[in-house]
Order: sequence, then structure tokens, then C-alpha cells
Amino acid sequence: MTAAGIAQPLVRPQKRRGSSLVNWMTTTDHKLIGQLYLATSFLFFLLAGVMALLMRAELARPGLQFLTNEQYNQLFTMHGTIMLLLFATPLFIGFANVIVPLQIGAPDVAFPRLNIFSFYLFLFGGLITVGGFLTPGGAADFGWYAYTPLTNAAHSPGVGGDMWIMGLVISGLGTILAGVNFITTIMVMRAPGMTMFRMPVFTWNILLTSMLVLLAFPVLAAALLCLEAERKLGAQIFTTANGGPILWQHLFWFFGHPEVYIVAIPFFGIITEILPVFARKPVFGYKGLVFATISISGLSMTVWAHHMFSTGAVLLPFFSFMTFLIAVPTGVKFFNWIGTLWRGQLSFDTPLLWALGFLVTFLFGGLTGIILASPPLDWHVTDTYFVVAHFHYVLFGTVVFAMFGGFYFWWPKMTGKMLDERLGKVHFWTLFIGFHTTFLVQHWLGVIGMPRRIPDYLPSDGFTTLNTVSTIGAFILGLSMFPFFFNVWKTWRHAPLVGVDDPWGWGASLEWATSCPPPRHNFVRMPRIRSERPAFDLHHPELTGRARTPVAAVSAADGESA
Amino acid sequence: MTVATLMLVAGCSKDDVPRFAMPTPITAEGQRILQLWQGSWIAALFVGCLVWGLIIWCVIAYRKRDESAAPQLAFNLPIEILYTIVPVIFVGVLFYFTARDENAIDKLSPNPDVTVEVVGFQWDWQFNYLSSANDASAVTVASITGDNAHGSPATLELPAGKTVRFKLVSPDVIHAFWVPAFLFKRDVIPGRTNEFEVHIDADKAGNTYEGRCTEFCGLNHDQMIFHVKLVTPATYNADLAKMELAFKSGSST
Repeated sequence: MTAAGIAQPLVRPQKRRGSSLVNWMTTTDHKLIGQLYLATSFLFFLLAGVMALLMRAELARPGLQFLTNEQYNQLFTMHGTIMLLLFATPLFIGFANVIVPLQIGAPDVAFPRLNIFSFYLFLFGGLITVGGFLTPGGAADFGWYAYTPLTNAAHSPGVGGDMWIMGLVISGLGTILAGVNFITTIMVMRAPGMTMFRMPVFTWNILLTSMLVLLAFPVLAAALLCLEAERKLGAQIFTTANGGPILWQHLFWFFGHPEVYIVAIPFFGIITEILPVFARKPVFGYKGLVFATISISGLSMTVWAHHMFSTGAVLLPFFSFMTFLIAVPTGVKFFNWIGTLWRGQLSFDTPLLWALGFLVTFLFGGLTGIILASPPLDWHVTDTYFVVAHFHYVLFGTVVFAMFGGFYFWWPKMTGKMLDERLGKVHFWTLFIGFHTTFLVQHWLGVIGMPRRIPDYLPSDGFTTLNTVSTIGAFILGLSMFPFFFNVWKTWRHAPLVGVDDPWGWGASLEWATSCPPPRHNFVRMPRIRSERPAFDLHHPELTGRARTPVAAVSAADGESA
Repeated sequence: MTVATLMLVAGCSKDDVPRFAMPTPITAEGQRILQLWQGSWIAALFVGCLVWGLIIWCVIAYRKRDESAAPQLAFNLPIEILYTIVPVIFVGVLFYFTARDENAIDKLSPNPDVTVEVVGFQWDWQFNYLSSANDASAVTVASITGDNAHGSPATLELPAGKTVRFKLVSPDVIHAFWVPAFLFKRDVIPGRTNEFEVHIDADKAGNTYEGRCTEFCGLNHDQMIFHVKLVTPATYNADLAKMELAFKSGSST
């Protein structure tokens, strides 16, 4: 910040104006980078949420009220793109950054500078993608799965489409590098005693998710670059005469289906961290849960063509059966979650409310998923509002409920202060009611005949009442953000520091065995790790049968200056 | 599950069970899909209510009573094995009915009564009546093109009680051909001809049904609608003769 040539003091003055901003922008601390990811992806969430409200307002009544077809098409394209790739994906990277090194007792991630580089790839890639709105032709308007030939230069000539493609290539590279970072961190930086089968389920899920990232995102990058080569350089990869439209769908969904698990599995992990703490029990069937997650990850690579049942170009029995099979490990997870609650001492703090909200919401999304796994049923409802409702139940049910659960749960770990419980409950219930009012009725809309991605319908179609209900729900959902904003502000200004390692009292994993927030390299001292619940062993030795042992002193700096 | 299986096996008629919002099917294939839909929903809601019930039970019964810990139970292998195996059986049954029905629905007969080539294009539909289902010898005998830009969608006239083959083609981008009353859709993909067949119910003559494009296809995707009008075979033959004359004289309706 200082001009070169001027003599500089050796010690940087403490409260220089803008210095904290510079600290944030240049940090290599995984906790701060994680918070950068969380804050940036949350802003993208709000942006895409406003787009959703514009679309819902337009759909409330038949007729075009205030949007044109062009604007509507840009809005749903960017809503989907942002929610999947600029909100949910970096959100998982944010949580993983903040929590994983703490959970395995590491001082940071394996490649701290690569970590901040990944963040900037995401940030600028995302800005390029969204920047299409500033071009004369507007943003990309071909749907977030960008089916060719609609996306070729003849059918979608605007530069917004090119910015969409190249922005996603750049932000996707950031995601790939983050995956590399997490896998390396988890494999080689676990503290002494932290064996694989003592890792918290959240860390397991990040490991498996990162492996899915490495399998899926390079395929997306390749497909996008092929598409751009076709648009700008005259390549003939997706020519219709050579089966190009189906080739694109295979490439896209080979990425796209693992992607929906990439944005689900980490959030299953958050739920699995929350439930035992507020049930005051160990997680039920830990190894079963880990194997279920491994099965889900493996199966998620084999089901991509269930997005293509209506093309008439895929082997229906195989993809149908593999899709059905995913219900088995998902069911195992459900029963393990319920087993965790079973005979517990349930304390209904805000994180548990979000976790329960996730359970009841995601369950319905899973049931409609089973319906959609059957091609004869999928044929009727695919590309209708039934599918829109289904994937909002699974994605919103997972990502958003678990995100807020994670925010309330780990807010003291990240900031040293507890969010307000009363405001948190108002926030939860308005969001819960708003969500279900918005999306439950959309199942009926799809089944009776409303296609997705239409800005308008006829009064004679019979879609009006349900659409109006859905729009009212969407605005309740939108309003539910305000208690949260107020909560964050109030906590920031007025809440006291927690001053203990584990403000919830029943935490199990290692992040609850260091201060709130943790020091620069996370641990001043490390408890003995002799089970998958080291913090619980430390704080409740009488319950685990592992008597309190002398803590092994571990240097916080460990050879580095903090 | 048992209930659903029994109902599928016993072949209960659609009147005995709710349609779960489905439109009334107008084809034999639609009837089959409706039964699978009903059976699957009954099974799904049975599982759903069981699991929601367990969650609600936990919320009510295990509300905290004091500040002590709960019993530290970490696993129970027999019950974990049970709730792994039961879902396997469950999805096996669902898959059996799925595979049975998808094969039946995708089957093509050698000589359908009517063959229609459906051309989906930005942003309208053209229906070409073909002389036969055999690609080598088929010629277009009559044609209808919609004009959605001016508010007049194409109306595809079909004879009730007959077998109709659809051949789906697109000259530009991907569309999808959906008649909600068929409970069925199929994509219309450039560079590829998709085919499917329906056996239309005999008792539906005189009714008109909505049809839509469901694959996003660009600017006016929402306007890409059409109608399907079912008539008696006699009316159909008379109308087709008129359309053939018009087609020969070069003015398609």
C-alpha cells in the first residue's frame, strides 16, 4: 500500500485505514479464506434470489407484466447458473475451508497460497459470468445446461454467452484446485491419532466431494472449451449431423449429475455434525454413514443419463436401476440421522431446527426423486414444474437449510459470538413456511401441464391459482432474509464474546477443542485423539469411559511465526 | 409397499385410487403410466409417512428433560443391516414394474394405422401425415403448420381407437413433444429421428387436448403450443381426404 522508495517502519502500524481489507484480500489463513468464500457465495445467493423473485412476480398472473421474454430467459439461465456454480459450489468450499483443518487438527490447508488463488479464480470467473448483464445483448439466455445447438453462434450470438462459458471455465478451475487442496490436506495433514475412521463425517464428506470435483469439473471445462471453440473458431464438435446434441448432453450431465452431489454431500455432512451435538449423543452408525456416503459418491458417477430419459437415446434400464439404487445409501443415512436423534436429549437450538427442517424437506425431494428414476413416469413430468419443485426440494432443502444450520452452529467458531436464538427461530420459521408454500404447489403445476422455463401462460390453462400461491410463498421466503440480516448486525454490534471452546456444550469434533475463534494456526494445545469424538472425550470423560488424559502440548506456531 | 404391489398385481382400475393430479389418460400407454404413477406414489407416501412419523416421534418424545447427557448409543448392527436390505428389496420391486412398463410403452408395431411426422421448429409445429411408417416408402400426403406468432396453433387431428406412430424431427434446435393427456413426452432432436406409438382410446372422439414444447428452445419457447383433436375414424378419413387434396394443390392448411 505504501509507495516504493519511502522508508518503511519494520512493524506495520496497527489500525491503518484499509489495512483489514488488505489483510482479507491477501490472507492465506484458511479460516479467513473460508469466510471470503462464504460471504461471496452468500452475495451470489442473494443476487440469484432477487432474480427468482422477479421471475415469480412475473408468473403470478397470466400475461407479461413487466419482463420481456429475453429478460425472463436471461433471468432463469443466470438464476440456475449462479445458484449451482457460484453459490452452492463455493459455499461448500467455504465451509470446508473454515472447518476441515480444524476438524483434523491441522494448522492450515496443504497449499495456502493456492487456496487464495482458487478464491480469486472463483470471484473473477463468477464476475465474468454475471458480467454478461452489462453487455448490449444481455447475459446468457440458453438455460444453465446450455444444450447445443441452441448455444451455438447461429442461435445464441451474444457476447453474454461467451462470457458465461469462459467465466465458468475460470471459476471451475478454482473449484478443481480447491478439490486438490482438500484431498491433500485430508490425506497428509491429519493430527497424530486422527486416523481415517476417526475423522468427523463432515471431513469424510468433503474428501469424497473433492474426489467428485476432480472427476466432474474437468469434463465440464473440456465441454465448455469445445463449445467456445465451436462458437468462435469454427470447430465442428457438436454438429447435429454427427450426433452433437446428444454428445453435449452426455458431457454436460457427466459433470452435471455429480455436481448435484457435490453440492449435497458436504451439506449432509453439516447436518451430521449438528444432530449429535443437540441430541447429546454420538452419531449413530458412524461407519455405516461413511460407507453410505462412499456408495452415494460412487453411484453418482453412474446415473448422469437419467437427465436424458426423454431423448430416446439412452439405455433406460441401466440408468434407471442405478438411480433407484441411490435410494438405498440415502435411506441408510436417513435412518442413521433418526438413530442419532433416537432416545436423545433434544435441545431445540436454532442449528437443530435447521437440521430438522432439512430432514423433512429433503425427504420429500428424495421421494419425488424415486418417482423420477422411473422412465415411464419421468417422461410425463420431466421439463415441467414437477422437476422444478423436485430439485428445489433436494437442493434448497439441502444447501440452504444446511447452510443456515451451519451458520448458526459455527458462527461462534468463526466470529467468537453467538447469533441471537430468538431471531434465528423467526428466521427459520418464515423461511420454512415460505419455502414450502412456494415449491409444494409446483408439483401439481407440473403434473397438470405447466412446462418449466416459460414466462407466460394462458388464463385458460388453469395454472393461475397455484402460480399465485407459489409467488406469495416466494415473497415470504424472500422476507425471511431480513431477520437474518438483523441478527448478523445485532450479533456483530452487541453480542458478548463466548469465551469458551465449546459454547454448545456437547461438541464432539476437534474444532470444539480450540478457542472461538481459533488462533492463527488453530491449536495452542491438542487433546489426545483416541476416538472419533476427541473434544467430547476431553470435555465429558465421565461419559465416554476415556479418563481425562494429560494433553499433549503442541506448539501453536510449529516452526512458523504466526 | 405391499399395498402398492398388491394393487399393481391385482390391476386395480384407475377409479379405485386417486390419480395424484395426473390428467385423464387418453391412450392405452397413458393408462399403463397412470397405474405405475399411482402404485409408485402409494409406495412413496407409505415410506414418507413412516420416516416423517419417526422424525416427529423423536421431536415429541425425546425433547430434553434436563441438563444431563443422553445414553451414548453409537450403533446397532442388526438394525443397520435391516434398514440397508429392506430398501434394496423395495427398489427391486419398483424397478421390476418400471422395466416392464417402459418396454411395453416403447414397443413399435409393424403397421400402425396412422403415421405422423412431427417437425418442431423455432417456434412452431408442423404435422406431416405420412403414407406409411416405413421410412423407405413413406411420402407426405398431407400437412398442417401452426402459426403461433399470430395466435393460431396447429391442430393435429387423429382418429380415436387407432394406433398412431409419431416420428419426431427438428431442423434447428432441440424441442420436446408433449401432450399432457398422453402422460408422455419425447424430445425432438436435430439430426435424429425419435419414434413412439400410442393406442388412442376409442371413446375419446370429439375432444381436443393441449400440446406443448417442453425443451427450452429460445426466445418464444413459451408460445410453442399445439392442439390434438380426436375424431371418429369416419370423420378422420373424410378430413384427411380434404387435407390431401389441399396438399396436392399446394396450399397446406
